[in-house]
Amino acid sequence: MQLKDPKPTARGTLGASLTVATCALLGQTVPGEVMAQELMPWDVDTSLLIYSESDGRVSDTSLNVRARKEMREDKFLDLTLAFDSLTGASPSGAVPAGNIQTFTSPSGNSQYTVAAGEPALDTSFLDTRTALSAAWEMPLSRLTLLSVGASLSDEYDYEHTGLNARVAHDFNDRNTTLSFGVALANDTISPVGGSPIPLAPMLGLGDYRNKGGDGSKDVTDFLLGVTQVLNRHTIVQFNYSLSQSDGYLTDPYKILSVVDPVTGVPVAGPPGSGLSLYVFENRPATRDKQSLYGLVKRDFGGNVLEASYRYMTDDWAVDSHTLELRYRWNFGTEKYFQPHVRFYQQTAAEFYRTVLFNNAPLPSYATADYRLGEFDGLTVGVKYGQATARGGEWSARVEYYTQTGTPAPGSAVGALASYDLYPDLNALIAQFTYKFGKR
Amino acid sequence: MASPCEVLVSEHDRALAERIVNVAAAEAARVEAKLSRYRPGNVIDMINTAGGRTIVVDDETARLLDYAAQLFELSEGRFDVTSGVLRRAWRFDGSDRVPSADVIEALLPLVGWQKVRWQAPQLTLEPGMEIDLGGIGKEYAVDRAAALVRPLSERCLLNFGGDLLALGPQTGGWPWRVGVESLNVPGAAAKEIELGRGALATSGDTRRFLRKDGKRYGHILDPITGWPVEDAPRSITVAAPTCTQAGMLATLSLLRGRDAEAFLAAQGVQYWAFR
Repeated sequence: MQLKDPKPTARGTLGASLTVATCALLGQTVPGEVMAQELMPWDVDTSLLIYSESDGRVSDTSLNVRARKEMREDKFLDLTLAFDSLTGASPSGAVPAGNIQTFTSPSGNSQYTVAAGEPALDTSFLDTRTALSAAWEMPLSRLTLLSVGASLSDEYDYEHTGLNARVAHDFNDRNTTLSFGVALANDTISPVGGSPIPLAPMLGLGDYRNKGGDGSKDVTDFLLGVTQVLNRHTIVQFNYSLSQSDGYLTDPYKILSVVDPVTGVPVAGPPGSGLSLYVFENRPATRDKQSLYGLVKRDFGGNVLEASYRYMTDDWAVDSHTLELRYRWNFGTEKYFQPHVRFYQQTAAEFYRTVLFNNAPLPSYATADYRLGEFDGLTVGVKYGQATARGGEWSARVEYYTQTGTPAPGSAVGALASYDLYPDLNALIAQFTYKFGKR
Repeated sequence: MASPCEVLVSEHDRALAERIVNVAAAEAARVEAKLSRYRPGNVIDMINTAGGRTIVVDDETARLLDYAAQLFELSEGRFDVTSGVLRRAWRFDGSDRVPSADVIEALLPLVGWQKVRWQAPQLTLEPGMEIDLGGIGKEYAVDRAAALVRPLSERCLLNFGGDLLALGPQTGGWPWRVGVESLNVPGAAAKEIELGRGALATSGDTRRFLRKDGKRYGHILDPITGWPVEDAPRSITVAAPTCTQAGMLATLSLLRGRDAEAFLAAQGVQYWAFR
């Protein structure tokens, strides 16, 4: 509701005459300016997201509140608070076996078992996460916008702190925007029971000799982007980003089964442990990712098609392609319906192994984390949104995600050939959002 | 000015701040002394007691009368500095003493800028007529004081009885925060306005009204009929570059009655109306 620059066409002739008369009265040659705006309440976006994987795997309930307010002319403060609660079971990395398998939980203080032939899920998986971020956005000049921010998050075994800055500059009658961003993060991982010694075997109950201390990592992200208005109906965007991670990048809870190279049966673990041989994973201490992203947004008579593609490649040999399409159907000015489809495909990290073979030389790095394997993902969903009488909006979104992966080549030896070594993953996503306080 | 005046200064230098306050206060006092219709011997008093004789006025008064003449034109006769005599019939004291039509009819011959002979610097009123520049005076004083303060500092806000002007933002670029509320609706949703530069002026019927047979008579009088304007908002606050302009837009809009908001919207100005 800023009217410091009211449209001249909207100004009645009376107003113009009054301005002239008042200037004459006050002996002014030019009318002054007025900078007044009604103090607006916070614009608040709230969202509740439920992510639920089938077969009792991970469930996440996430509550997110974002508040934004114009604190001074063109200067915005943005605060976000997020709360996540994760429950369920997460694949540990071990493969199914013909017998009951026993595992020591990360704390070293308890054990759990997995039935014969069943995927090895670590049921002790439970976490809550609280995250807070703040950003300040201000113009540096008429065409340049700066935003700086900080973020913090806390889980019982993970702490994140981050700083970020972004500068955007408009050119070409504001049809082109060039932006540059940088983000720095420092994360500390304090695994339950300490971080395991890389590739060391899982030990029996109460045996902590394989545990080390905390880990930490630094992540630096750079982003270079250009947004171009092509015409009244079309806008395109290209981004290049570089992300460098340095430090403890291993997942302290993930293990690999060590099996006989012929029979595929797990071999015996450390003497006296009563366990089969499982070793903790190990990943390189650096990871460089690069990605290219392109987006086209086009208006078709009030409805908007959005198509984007991302290519990501990293020095772990993970390459991924993401293609995403959204179409927003507007019904009048107050309701919309938006189908969404996303295709995802990635190659495996070079050190991805479904299992390790007994008596073979131990590799320097190995992980059986399915997220670093080769897989395809498909997401389909719909969203419905509606404006509220007070100028806010609510929306509901439902999506279904399905993921199909491929085990590392040559893994299905002996008994393993009869198991699903990369189980499909299906998940349901439901989100409800409510925005209020909009101008 | 019959209302509290304040000067807010955002400066570190105490002596400078005091100078600013003194300059503004002196100008407020000067304008009030000159334009108040309650001050015997001032130019308004001379005009109103001239008994049909021609009065020669000074430059400043002449500019104000020119302005009054232009407003009369622009408002098609609704803004009229000669309408003050109607107050002899209307006393807005919250009672039900609505005057009779005869009384008002008898006063109407004394109202009407078109009957005034004004050729700067000479002003001739018909005997019995009066002029009252009170509808312009307070806002004019704010703008005058602002012009004198401006060379000293722009980091100040002048507030003369609710009509106010920010010369510029506070130190550090922070705008001033001004509360706006309906003048006579207790508890009506107050608005908070950030004012970096420019003026806000409010016109309204405050607590001055009459009520008879369930009908409310607001104190904004239509000089053409002699009766209160019907269906006007209770108060209007307008933002404009100068306080005088903001005040005139607020007053002119109230004179439009039920079309007040539409009138302001057509002028392309920011306003806050309470009904």
